[in-house]
Amino acid sequence: MKCSQVQKRLSAFQDGELKPQEGERVNDHLESCSACRERYAEMEKVWQTLGDFKEILPEPEFYGQLVKKINYSDETRIPVRFSWFFQIFSSPWATATLLIAGILVGTFLGNILAKSDLFPFQQNQPAYSRAASEVFSLKVFDPIPPGTLADKYMRMASY
Amino acid sequence: MTKKLDSFSSEDLMVKTAEEDEFAFEILVRRHQTSVLNLVYRYVGNKTKAKDLAQEVFIRVWRAAKRYEPKAKFTTWIYRITANLCLNELKSVKGKKLVQLESEHEDRQKTNFETHPNASRSPEDLLLAKERSRQVSEALQSLPENQRMALILKRYDNLSYDEIAKIMECSVSAVESLLVRAKRNLQEKLNFFKE
Repeated sequence: MKCSQVQKRLSAFQDGELKPQEGERVNDHLESCSACRERYAEMEKVWQTLGDFKEILPEPEFYGQLVKKINYSDETRIPVRFSWFFQIFSSPWATATLLIAGILVGTFLGNILAKSDLFPFQQNQPAYSRAASEVFSLKVFDPIPPGTLADKYMRMASY
Repeated sequence: MTKKLDSFSSEDLMVKTAEEDEFAFEILVRRHQTSVLNLVYRYVGNKTKAKDLAQEVFIRVWRAAKRYEPKAKFTTWIYRITANLCLNELKSVKGKKLVQLESEHEDRQKTNFETHPNASRSPEDLLLAKERSRQVSEALQSLPENQRMALILKRYDNLSYDEIAKIMECSVSAVESLLVRAKRNLQEKLNFFKE
C-alpha cells in the first residue's frame, strides 16, 4: 500500500471500521513507514485529548422537572378529542374554505338583520332626526341609498 | 413493579410507555438521561441549554411513544430525535451570536450539575483539567454542525459508522468523510495541546 492510500484510510482504521484484510495491510504499512506512523500517532493524540471533555451527570431532579413539563404541556395542548378538527383544517385549502363559508354566513345573517325590525330607529322613526336615521340605517349599504344624487337620477329615469 | 421493569429492554419499556405506563417511562428516562444529556451538552457546549434540550427529547419520546415501532433499535431512535433537535436548535439561533461557552465557575453558579468527582486529584490538577475540558469544548463547537455530530457519536458514544449513518440519515461513506474532515480540523485546532 502507498502512503497516500494509507493516509486516506487512517481515520477508518482508527475507528476500527476497516475490513480485517485491509486493516492488516494498513497495520503492516504503519510498522514499516515512520511518516505514516507519526501521522497516526498525532491522530491518536487528538483522540485522547477529546477525552478531556468530561461527562456531566444529570441533576437528581431531572426526572421530576421533566414530568412537570410534560404535565404542563399536556394541560395547554388541544384535547385529543378535538385534534381531528385541527388536523382537517391544517391545510391552506381547508382554511380558505372555512374563510369563504364564514363570509357567506356573515352576509346571510347581515341581510336577515337588515330586513328584520330589530333596530329601534326603524320602529320609532319620528323620535330620530332624518340625518341620524340615515346614518344608522342599514339602507346606506343599498346600491342606491335614498336621497342621494343617484337615487334622484333613477327616479327621473323611471318616469 | 419497578424492579421487574428494570430487567426490560428499552424497546420493551417503550412499548409499555405507549400504554401510558409511567413507571416504564421513568426507568427509560433514568436509563438514557446521562447519554442524551451528554450528547446535547457536547454538541451545544452549554449545560443549562443542554438540560432543557435533553428534557425536550424525552417529552418527544413520551408523545411519540404510540408511533414507535419496536423493530427500530431504541438508542438509534432516541439519538435521531436528539440529533434532529440539536441541529434545529442551531438553525434557530443562526444569525444571532452562538451561545458563548460558560466557564465552569459561571456554570456552577447557574446549575447544580456535577462532573464526576475525583477526590484523589489536587486543586491545581482539577483546575487544569477544567481548562483543558473548556478548550476541547471550544474546539468542538467550532466544527461544522454535521462534522461535530458525527465526531461526538463516534468518540463519546462509540457508535459504528452504520449506526451514525442511521441517526444522521445519511450514507456510511458520508459519515466516513465527515469524520476524516472533523479529525483534520480538530488536529489544527488542538495543536496547542502538543507539548
